[in-house]
Amino acid sequence: MELNHLVLQASRARLFKELKEVQREKVADPDIQLSCDDNNIFKWTALIKGPSETPFEGGVFQLAFAIPEQYPLQPPQVRFLTKIFHPNVHFKTGEICLDILKNAWSPAWTLQSVCRAIIALMAHPEPDSPLNCDSGNLLRSGDVRGYQSMARMYTRLAAMPKKG
Amino acid sequence: MVSDSVANASIPSAPYNSKDLGKKKRARTAKLKQCKLDVRREQWLSQVAVKNKCCKDEMNGVQTGKERNRSLGNLEMRRIGEENGGQGHHNDSDSDSPSNSPSSLTSSVLGSNDSGTNFTGSSSSSSSSSSSGGCCSGSITEEEEEDDGCLDDWEAVADALAANDKPENPCAKLPPEHEPVSQMASSCQGTIGSVLGIGNSKPECATTVSRVSGNSRAWRPDDALRPQCLPNLSKQLSLPNSDRQHYGCGGVPWACNNIIPPPSSCPICFEDLDLTDTSFLPCLCGFRLCLFCHKRILEEDGRCPGCRKPYECNPVEAEASVRGGGLTFRLARSCSMITRS
Repeated sequence: MELNHLVLQASRARLFKELKEVQREKVADPDIQLSCDDNNIFKWTALIKGPSETPFEGGVFQLAFAIPEQYPLQPPQVRFLTKIFHPNVHFKTGEICLDILKNAWSPAWTLQSVCRAIIALMAHPEPDSPLNCDSGNLLRSGDVRGYQSMARMYTRLAAMPKKG
Repeated sequence: MVSDSVANASIPSAPYNSKDLGKKKRARTAKLKQCKLDVRREQWLSQVAVKNKCCKDEMNGVQTGKERNRSLGNLEMRRIGEENGGQGHHNDSDSDSPSNSPSSLTSSVLGSNDSGTNFTGSSSSSSSSSSSGGCCSGSITEEEEEDDGCLDDWEAVADALAANDKPENPCAKLPPEHEPVSQMASSCQGTIGSVLGIGNSKPECATTVSRVSGNSRAWRPDDALRPQCLPNLSKQLSLPNSDRQHYGCGGVPWACNNIIPPPSSCPICFEDLDLTDTSFLPCLCGFRLCLFCHKRILEEDGRCPGCRKPYECNPVEAEASVRGGGLTFRLARSCSMITRS
């Protein structure tokens, strides 16, 4: 009881500080927009811009963060709310396969840095540990062009403002 | 200067003081010695922060009082002159007392000075009871302590701080810690004098007595655990502290960035690092964090957040430091860890 309270307090304090930091740094990283649920500090959302020179360029992807009480000792759970065609993102659930969200997590990471890592992952897919087999297979078979056009299509469909 | 002569003169007069208390208290000496060592190290770690902690100051006062006698006599005299007439008077009486058989007059002066200036008047009454023993043993013990205690201290400290300090000459190192302490030091001489009225002749007695006087002042809440827990801790802490200098220039590339100015807040919980945290270097990679977070990490996967290598080389240190922090929920947490895993 007491313990939980302490842990909770620690994670909450840290999240508040991150929030403050994020609000201060908003200008510094224009590709990431982190915001926290008004009622729940353990729920965050982020908008990230698709990295340039990738099929995701021009898209804006929404991420949902569910932060465990043991944060930052435990990694946040992040998933894409926006559909994305990417070997390491589950097409239906948006779950992300990223080492730093699993065993390579370090408490020194922040939500902001997680966003950066996800952006990097978008630019450098890891087809050998696919959550989206179709996407992974395209890349593994060397069909970069097929992968890119699929990804671009979904970016246009899901991550870009509807035209007209 | 003056006190030097005091000490020398008073040595022969040592035997005729009461020894019973000394025997009784001798056991505590080692502890206190450690304590003093610890305190001084901590002071070096941050030469400022000690100002507020009266206990530490007092103990340091005892030490620096002694060393001043040796090396910083001038400074002391100046200081004392500045302090007030009473203090200077007190010193004079000290110097006189060993050679001439100390009179009750000096003792009373001593007592009054102490109570007036810096002691809260608690133990100054004792001065009247056995004044001669008080004065003599006071100066004696100061001198002898220097021989057996301080030199040890200096050697140990020199090892610890070899990186950036010149351990050989205490004078060079003393002034910074000396400044904030000086007022207290004067008070401590008073305390020794007065409390020693209870009568101890052994060299150890001085330490124990000063300890007693410290106790009579009551430890502060944060100091309460100090005598038992901290000595080992800061001995260990000061080593990484000196190591830090090497690693700072050394191989780990990002450690260079982080080490030279230690972060002001813990990168894990974003809370401000306190003194103990700042001197705590749990991993060779140079990643710093507060003790609380470090403890939590040890309970979880035990890997350094900076390099993701498991904390291994100094788990003892970590343990000790957390224990030194006296966190009560540490036990509870470890229990919970057991249930969790």
